[in-house]
Amino acid sequence: MKPVYRIYAKRAVLILQLIAGAAVASEAPVTTGAVPETGLRYWEWKSEGVLFRLTQRLPDQTRAYFMARGFDAGDANHIAERCVFQSMFRNIADSGDTSVAIDLDNWRIHGDNKESRLLTRKKWQEELHKSPVSRAAAIALEWSLLPTRQEYAPGDYNWGMTSYGLQPGQVFDLAFSWQRNGQVFHGTLKRVECARDVHPEPEP
Amino acid sequence: MMPKFILQALLVLSVLFTLNAVSAGQPAQMLHEIAERPAAPDFSLKDMDGSIHTLSAYRGKVVILNFWATWCPPCREEMPSMERAWKQLKHEDIVMLAINVGEDEDSIFEFTASYPVEFPLLLDQESVVTGNWPVRGLPTTFVIDPQGRIVYRAVGGRDWNAPGILKKIRALQVHP
Repeated sequence: MKPVYRIYAKRAVLILQLIAGAAVASEAPVTTGAVPETGLRYWEWKSEGVLFRLTQRLPDQTRAYFMARGFDAGDANHIAERCVFQSMFRNIADSGDTSVAIDLDNWRIHGDNKESRLLTRKKWQEELHKSPVSRAAAIALEWSLLPTRQEYAPGDYNWGMTSYGLQPGQVFDLAFSWQRNGQVFHGTLKRVECARDVHPEPEP
Repeated sequence: MMPKFILQALLVLSVLFTLNAVSAGQPAQMLHEIAERPAAPDFSLKDMDGSIHTLSAYRGKVVILNFWATWCPPCREEMPSMERAWKQLKHEDIVMLAINVGEDEDSIFEFTASYPVEFPLLLDQESVVTGNWPVRGLPTTFVIDPQGRIVYRAVGGRDWNAPGILKKIRALQVHP
Protein backbone atom coordinates (compact mmCIF):
# COMPACT_ATOMS: atom_id res chain seq x y z
CA MET A 1 0.00 0.00 0.00
CA LYS A 2 1.26 3.52 -0.86
CA PRO A 3 2.28 5.61 2.18
CA VAL A 4 -0.53 8.14 1.61
CA TYR A 5 -3.19 5.38 1.61
CA ARG A 6 -1.60 3.87 4.70
CA ILE A 7 -2.13 7.19 6.53
CA TYR A 8 -5.79 7.32 5.40
CA ALA A 9 -6.29 3.71 6.49
CA LYS A 10 -4.85 4.40 9.93
CA ARG A 11 -7.08 7.46 10.29
CA ALA A 12 -10.12 5.44 9.25
CA VAL A 13 -9.36 2.79 11.84
CA LEU A 14 -8.77 5.46 14.49
CA ILE A 15 -12.13 7.12 13.69
CA LEU A 16 -13.93 3.79 13.87
CA GLN A 17 -12.27 2.99 17.19
CA LEU A 18 -13.33 6.39 18.54
CA ILE A 19 -16.91 5.79 17.35
CA ALA A 20 -16.92 2.34 18.96
CA GLY A 21 -15.46 3.68 22.20
CA ALA A 22 -17.93 6.56 22.32
CA ALA A 23 -20.86 4.20 21.71
CA VAL A 24 -19.84 1.99 24.63
CA ALA A 25 -18.88 4.85 26.95
CA SER A 26 -22.06 6.81 26.29
CA GLU A 27 -24.30 3.88 27.22
CA ALA A 28 -25.98 5.22 30.34
CA PRO A 29 -26.86 2.58 32.95
CA VAL A 30 -30.47 3.83 33.25
CA THR A 31 -33.08 3.93 30.54
CA THR A 32 -36.69 4.96 30.94
CA GLY A 33 -39.65 4.79 28.67
CA ALA A 34 -43.18 3.49 28.32
CA VAL A 35 -44.43 0.03 27.44
CA PRO A 36 -46.00 0.54 23.99
CA GLU A 37 -49.03 -1.69 24.61
CA THR A 38 -50.04 -0.17 27.94
CA GLY A 39 -48.36 3.21 28.21
CA LEU A 40 -47.07 2.21 31.65
CA ARG A 41 -43.64 3.65 32.38
CA TYR A 42 -40.51 1.71 33.19
CA TRP A 43 -37.07 2.45 34.66
CA GLU A 44 -34.22 0.09 33.82
CA TRP A 45 -30.67 -0.17 35.15
CA LYS A 46 -28.21 -2.21 33.12
CA SER A 47 -24.60 -2.07 34.25
CA GLU A 48 -21.96 -4.00 36.20
CA GLY A 49 -23.42 -7.31 35.07
CA VAL A 50 -26.95 -6.80 36.41
CA LEU A 51 -30.23 -5.75 34.91
CA PHE A 52 -32.91 -4.32 37.18
CA ARG A 53 -36.21 -3.10 35.82
CA LEU A 54 -39.26 -1.53 37.42
CA THR A 55 -42.50 -1.25 35.47
CA GLN A 56 -45.52 0.60 36.83
CA ARG A 57 -48.61 -1.36 37.82
CA LEU A 58 -51.92 0.46 37.88
CA PRO A 59 -53.59 0.13 41.29
CA ASP A 60 -56.56 -1.40 39.45
CA GLN A 61 -54.30 -4.14 38.06
CA THR A 62 -53.09 -4.98 41.54
CA ARG A 63 -56.60 -4.87 43.02
CA ALA A 64 -57.88 -7.30 40.38
CA TYR A 65 -54.86 -9.58 40.77
CA PHE A 66 -55.22 -9.99 44.53
CA MET A 67 -59.03 -10.19 44.53
CA ALA A 68 -58.67 -13.11 42.10
CA ARG A 69 -56.40 -14.78 44.67
CA GLY A 70 -58.65 -14.65 47.70
CA PHE A 71 -58.26 -11.12 49.09
CA ASP A 72 -61.39 -9.15 49.86
CA ALA A 73 -61.80 -5.76 48.19
CA GLY A 74 -60.53 -3.84 51.23
CA ASP A 75 -57.29 -5.80 51.62
CA ALA A 76 -56.64 -5.85 47.86
CA ASN A 77 -57.10 -2.07 47.84
CA HIS A 78 -54.74 -1.72 50.81
CA ILE A 79 -51.96 -3.42 48.82
CA ALA A 80 -52.82 -1.70 45.53
CA GLU A 81 -52.51 1.78 47.03
CA ARG A 82 -49.00 1.17 48.40
CA CYS A 83 -47.14 1.85 45.12
CA VAL A 84 -46.58 -1.58 43.59
CA PHE A 85 -44.23 -2.13 40.66
CA GLN A 86 -43.59 -5.17 38.50
CA SER A 87 -39.87 -5.83 38.98
CA MET A 88 -37.19 -7.93 37.40
CA PHE A 89 -33.66 -8.55 38.64
CA ARG A 90 -31.25 -10.53 36.46
CA ASN A 91 -27.59 -11.49 36.65
CA ILE A 92 -26.47 -10.84 33.08
CA ALA A 93 -22.85 -11.92 33.57
CA ASP A 94 -22.17 -14.32 30.73
CA SER A 95 -19.81 -16.83 32.27
CA GLY A 96 -17.90 -17.87 35.36
CA ASP A 97 -19.11 -18.38 38.88
CA THR A 98 -19.92 -14.78 39.63
CA SER A 99 -23.15 -14.93 41.58
CA VAL A 100 -24.94 -11.77 42.65
CA ALA A 101 -26.75 -11.42 45.96
CA ILE A 102 -29.45 -8.91 46.83
CA ASP A 103 -31.11 -7.96 50.10
CA LEU A 104 -34.10 -5.66 49.68
CA ASP A 105 -33.86 -4.65 53.34
CA ASN A 106 -30.71 -2.71 52.39
CA TRP A 107 -32.44 -0.72 49.65
CA ARG A 108 -33.67 2.78 50.41
CA ILE A 109 -36.49 4.95 49.09
CA HIS A 110 -35.97 8.71 49.02
CA GLY A 111 -39.16 10.64 48.46
CA ASP A 112 -40.99 13.58 49.96
CA ASN A 113 -37.87 14.49 52.01
CA LYS A 114 -37.99 11.16 53.81
CA GLU A 115 -36.04 7.92 53.67
CA SER A 116 -37.92 4.65 53.91
CA ARG A 117 -37.63 0.94 53.13
CA LEU A 118 -39.48 -1.38 50.81
CA LEU A 119 -42.48 -3.33 52.05
CA THR A 120 -40.96 -6.79 51.77
CA ARG A 121 -42.51 -10.22 52.36
CA LYS A 122 -41.91 -10.03 56.12
CA LYS A 123 -43.42 -6.53 56.36
CA TRP A 124 -46.52 -7.68 54.51
CA GLN A 125 -46.81 -10.77 56.73
CA GLU A 126 -46.86 -8.44 59.73
CA GLU A 127 -49.47 -6.26 58.03
CA LEU A 128 -51.62 -9.28 57.26
CA HIS A 129 -51.58 -10.38 60.91
CA LYS A 130 -53.60 -7.24 61.64
CA SER A 131 -56.44 -8.40 59.38
CA PRO A 132 -55.97 -12.11 58.74
CA VAL A 133 -56.50 -13.32 55.18
CA SER A 134 -56.92 -16.86 53.91
CA ARG A 135 -53.86 -19.10 53.73
CA ALA A 136 -54.17 -19.25 49.91
CA ALA A 137 -54.22 -15.45 49.69
CA ALA A 138 -51.19 -15.11 51.99
CA ILE A 139 -49.25 -17.65 49.89
CA ALA A 140 -50.17 -15.79 46.69
CA LEU A 141 -48.92 -12.49 48.12
CA GLU A 142 -45.69 -13.98 49.43
CA TRP A 143 -44.71 -15.63 46.15
CA SER A 144 -45.86 -12.69 44.02
CA LEU A 145 -43.35 -10.38 45.70
CA LEU A 146 -39.73 -10.24 44.59
CA PRO A 147 -37.69 -12.36 47.06
CA THR A 148 -36.29 -10.24 49.90
CA ARG A 149 -32.97 -12.05 49.73
CA GLN A 150 -31.82 -13.98 46.71
CA GLU A 151 -28.65 -15.21 45.06
CA TYR A 152 -28.47 -15.11 41.28
CA ALA A 153 -25.96 -17.22 39.38
CA PRO A 154 -25.15 -16.04 35.84
CA GLY A 155 -28.33 -16.32 33.78
CA ASP A 156 -30.62 -16.39 36.85
CA TYR A 157 -33.44 -13.90 37.30
CA ASN A 158 -36.65 -13.27 39.19
CA TRP A 159 -39.79 -11.41 38.32
CA GLY A 160 -41.92 -10.17 41.17
CA MET A 161 -43.77 -7.23 42.62
CA THR A 162 -42.04 -4.66 44.79
CA SER A 163 -44.02 -2.37 47.06
CA TYR A 164 -42.82 1.06 48.18
CA GLY A 165 -45.54 2.15 50.61
CA LEU A 166 -46.11 5.47 48.84
CA GLN A 167 -49.22 7.16 47.46
CA PRO A 168 -50.32 6.73 43.83
CA GLY A 169 -48.55 9.31 41.66
CA GLN A 170 -45.76 9.97 44.21
CA VAL A 171 -42.22 10.37 42.87
CA PHE A 172 -39.15 8.87 44.55
CA ASP A 173 -35.52 7.87 44.05
CA LEU A 174 -34.56 4.26 44.72
CA ALA A 175 -31.04 3.55 45.99
CA PHE A 176 -30.43 -0.16 45.46
CA SER A 177 -27.41 -2.41 45.91
CA TRP A 178 -26.10 -5.86 45.24
CA GLN A 179 -23.03 -7.91 46.11
CA ARG A 180 -20.67 -9.75 43.80
CA ASN A 181 -17.56 -11.53 45.06
CA GLY A 182 -17.96 -9.81 48.43
CA GLN A 183 -17.95 -6.35 46.88
CA VAL A 184 -21.01 -4.12 47.28
CA PHE A 185 -22.26 -2.26 44.20
CA HIS A 186 -24.75 0.60 44.23
CA GLY A 187 -27.22 1.95 41.71
CA THR A 188 -29.92 4.60 41.74
CA LEU A 189 -33.15 4.95 39.80
CA LYS A 190 -34.16 8.61 39.92
CA ARG A 191 -37.60 10.16 39.75
CA VAL A 192 -39.47 6.88 39.67
CA GLU A 193 -43.21 7.55 39.66
CA CYS A 194 -45.82 5.37 41.35
CA ALA A 195 -48.66 4.73 38.88
CA ARG A 196 -51.60 7.06 39.30
CA ASP A 197 -54.92 5.56 40.37
CA VAL A 198 -56.64 6.01 37.03
CA HIS A 199 -59.38 3.84 35.60
CA PRO A 200 -58.89 3.67 31.84
CA GLU A 201 -62.03 2.86 29.90
CA PRO A 202 -61.92 0.87 26.66
CA GLU A 203 -62.22 3.11 23.61
CA PRO A 204 -65.67 2.99 21.95
CA MET B 1 -7.06 -9.50 -1.23
CA MET B 2 -8.89 -7.32 1.29
CA PRO B 3 -6.78 -4.36 2.46
CA LYS B 4 -5.54 -4.64 6.04
CA PHE B 5 -7.27 -1.44 7.17
CA ILE B 6 -10.67 -2.81 6.09
CA LEU B 7 -10.02 -5.96 8.09
CA GLN B 8 -9.09 -3.82 11.10
CA ALA B 9 -12.25 -1.76 10.68
CA LEU B 10 -14.38 -4.91 10.48
CA LEU B 11 -12.68 -6.23 13.60
CA VAL B 12 -13.52 -3.03 15.50
CA LEU B 13 -17.15 -3.19 14.35
CA SER B 14 -17.48 -6.86 15.28
CA VAL B 15 -16.18 -6.07 18.79
CA LEU B 16 -18.74 -3.27 19.04
CA PHE B 17 -21.61 -5.54 17.96
CA THR B 18 -20.47 -8.23 20.39
CA LEU B 19 -20.44 -5.72 23.26
CA ASN B 20 -23.95 -4.62 22.32
CA ALA B 21 -25.16 -8.23 22.20
CA VAL B 22 -23.71 -8.99 25.65
CA SER B 23 -25.24 -5.85 27.12
CA ALA B 24 -28.66 -6.76 25.72
CA GLY B 25 -29.07 -9.08 28.72
CA GLN B 26 -30.79 -11.88 26.88
CA PRO B 27 -31.49 -14.92 29.05
CA ALA B 28 -28.53 -17.24 28.99
CA GLN B 29 -29.26 -20.97 29.01
CA MET B 30 -27.15 -21.81 32.02
CA LEU B 31 -27.54 -24.14 34.97
CA HIS B 32 -25.77 -23.26 38.18
CA GLU B 33 -23.82 -26.21 39.54
CA ILE B 34 -24.10 -26.65 43.30
CA ALA B 35 -20.66 -27.83 44.38
CA GLU B 36 -21.78 -29.25 47.75
CA ARG B 37 -24.44 -31.46 46.15
CA PRO B 38 -26.79 -31.38 49.18
CA ALA B 39 -29.33 -34.16 49.71
CA ALA B 40 -32.66 -33.36 48.07
CA PRO B 41 -35.40 -33.03 50.74
CA ASP B 42 -37.91 -35.83 50.31
CA PHE B 43 -41.62 -35.24 49.76
CA SER B 44 -44.85 -36.98 48.83
CA LEU B 45 -47.38 -34.99 46.80
CA LYS B 46 -50.47 -35.74 44.73
CA ASP B 47 -50.59 -35.01 41.02
CA MET B 48 -53.64 -33.84 39.05
CA ASP B 49 -54.87 -37.44 38.70
CA GLY B 50 -54.60 -38.10 42.43
CA SER B 51 -51.48 -40.30 42.15
CA ILE B 52 -48.86 -39.85 44.86
CA HIS B 53 -45.28 -39.04 43.85
CA THR B 54 -42.54 -39.58 46.42
CA LEU B 55 -39.18 -38.15 45.46
CA SER B 56 -37.15 -40.89 47.13
CA ALA B 57 -39.03 -43.47 45.03
CA TYR B 58 -37.19 -42.06 42.00
CA ARG B 59 -33.75 -42.81 43.49
CA GLY B 60 -31.50 -44.20 40.74
CA LYS B 61 -32.91 -41.75 38.17
CA VAL B 62 -32.15 -38.18 37.25
CA VAL B 63 -35.04 -35.94 38.34
CA ILE B 64 -35.83 -32.45 37.03
CA LEU B 65 -37.90 -30.71 39.70
CA ASN B 66 -39.60 -27.42 38.88
CA PHE B 67 -41.45 -25.08 41.30
CA TRP B 68 -43.99 -22.87 39.55
CA ALA B 69 -47.37 -21.07 39.61
CA THR B 70 -49.88 -20.32 36.87
CA TRP B 71 -49.74 -16.53 37.46
CA CYS B 72 -45.94 -16.37 37.09
CA PRO B 73 -44.98 -15.13 33.58
CA PRO B 74 -41.55 -16.83 33.32
CA CYS B 75 -43.13 -20.09 34.56
CA ARG B 76 -45.66 -19.94 31.72
CA GLU B 77 -42.96 -19.05 29.24
CA GLU B 78 -40.71 -21.98 30.05
CA MET B 79 -43.46 -24.61 30.34
CA PRO B 80 -43.64 -25.45 26.59
CA SER B 81 -39.85 -25.95 26.49
CA MET B 82 -40.13 -28.27 29.47
CA GLU B 83 -42.71 -30.30 27.60
CA ARG B 84 -40.44 -30.48 24.52
CA ALA B 85 -37.52 -31.59 26.70
CA TRP B 86 -39.73 -34.12 28.46
CA LYS B 87 -40.77 -35.69 25.16
CA GLN B 88 -37.10 -36.51 24.54
CA LEU B 89 -36.02 -37.39 28.06
CA LYS B 90 -38.90 -39.65 29.10
CA HIS B 91 -37.52 -42.35 26.81
CA GLU B 92 -34.21 -42.12 28.65
CA ASP B 93 -35.65 -42.86 32.10
CA ILE B 94 -35.27 -39.25 33.26
CA VAL B 95 -38.07 -37.92 35.48
CA MET B 96 -39.66 -34.46 35.26
CA LEU B 97 -41.95 -33.16 38.03
CA ALA B 98 -43.43 -29.69 38.41
CA ILE B 99 -44.67 -28.63 41.85
CA ASN B 100 -47.34 -25.95 41.76
CA VAL B 101 -47.05 -23.56 44.69
CA GLY B 102 -50.24 -22.64 46.50
CA GLU B 103 -52.95 -23.05 43.86
CA ASP B 104 -55.91 -25.38 43.56
CA GLU B 105 -56.68 -28.02 40.96
CA ASP B 106 -59.16 -25.80 39.10
CA SER B 107 -56.55 -23.09 38.46
CA ILE B 108 -54.04 -25.65 37.19
CA PHE B 109 -56.67 -27.41 35.10
CA GLU B 110 -57.52 -24.10 33.39
CA PHE B 111 -53.83 -23.45 32.82
CA THR B 112 -53.27 -26.80 31.13
CA ALA B 113 -55.96 -25.97 28.57
CA SER B 114 -53.56 -23.34 27.19
CA TYR B 115 -50.31 -25.06 28.14
CA PRO B 116 -50.85 -28.81 27.78
CA VAL B 117 -48.11 -30.89 29.40
CA GLU B 118 -47.76 -34.63 29.91
CA PHE B 119 -45.32 -34.71 32.82
CA PRO B 120 -46.80 -34.81 36.34
CA LEU B 121 -48.00 -31.53 37.88
CA LEU B 122 -47.95 -31.88 41.67
CA LEU B 123 -49.99 -29.82 44.13
CA ASP B 124 -48.39 -28.10 47.13
CA GLN B 125 -51.40 -26.02 48.13
CA GLU B 126 -50.12 -25.16 51.60
CA SER B 127 -46.61 -24.41 50.28
CA VAL B 128 -45.18 -26.77 52.92
CA VAL B 129 -42.95 -28.81 50.60
CA THR B 130 -41.77 -25.66 48.83
CA GLY B 131 -40.79 -24.24 52.21
CA ASN B 132 -38.46 -27.22 52.78
CA TRP B 133 -36.55 -26.48 49.58
CA PRO B 134 -34.18 -23.55 48.91
CA VAL B 135 -36.79 -21.79 46.79
CA ARG B 136 -37.18 -18.03 47.14
CA GLY B 137 -38.79 -17.08 43.85
CA LEU B 138 -40.69 -18.75 41.03
CA PRO B 139 -39.81 -20.50 38.84
CA THR B 140 -36.90 -22.34 40.41
CA THR B 141 -35.79 -25.68 39.03
CA PHE B 142 -33.41 -28.27 40.44
CA VAL B 143 -31.74 -31.21 38.76
CA ILE B 144 -31.24 -34.14 41.11
CA ASP B 145 -28.75 -36.92 40.39
CA PRO B 146 -29.46 -40.66 40.73
CA GLN B 147 -28.01 -40.57 44.27
CA GLY B 148 -30.70 -38.10 45.34
CA ARG B 149 -28.39 -35.06 45.49
CA ILE B 150 -29.12 -31.57 44.12
CA VAL B 151 -26.60 -30.94 41.34
CA TYR B 152 -27.96 -27.98 39.40
CA ARG B 153 -30.23 -25.02 40.15
CA ALA B 154 -31.88 -22.56 37.78
CA VAL B 155 -33.62 -19.45 39.16
CA GLY B 156 -35.94 -18.01 36.51
CA GLY B 157 -37.07 -19.57 33.26
CA ARG B 158 -34.89 -21.50 30.85
CA ASP B 159 -35.21 -23.10 27.44
CA TRP B 160 -35.11 -26.64 28.78
CA ASN B 161 -34.91 -28.00 25.27
CA ALA B 162 -31.59 -26.21 24.62
CA PRO B 163 -28.88 -28.72 23.63
CA GLY B 164 -26.45 -27.47 26.31
CA ILE B 165 -28.97 -28.05 29.09
CA LEU B 166 -30.04 -31.46 27.79
CA LYS B 167 -26.38 -32.50 27.55
CA LYS B 168 -25.74 -31.62 31.21
CA ILE B 169 -28.84 -33.51 32.34
CA ARG B 170 -28.00 -36.59 30.29
CA ALA B 171 -24.40 -36.53 31.58
CA LEU B 172 -25.71 -37.21 35.08
CA GLN B 173 -27.15 -40.51 33.85
CA VAL B 174 -23.84 -41.64 32.45
CA HIS B 175 -21.45 -40.06 34.95
CA PRO B 176 -23.31 -39.52 38.23
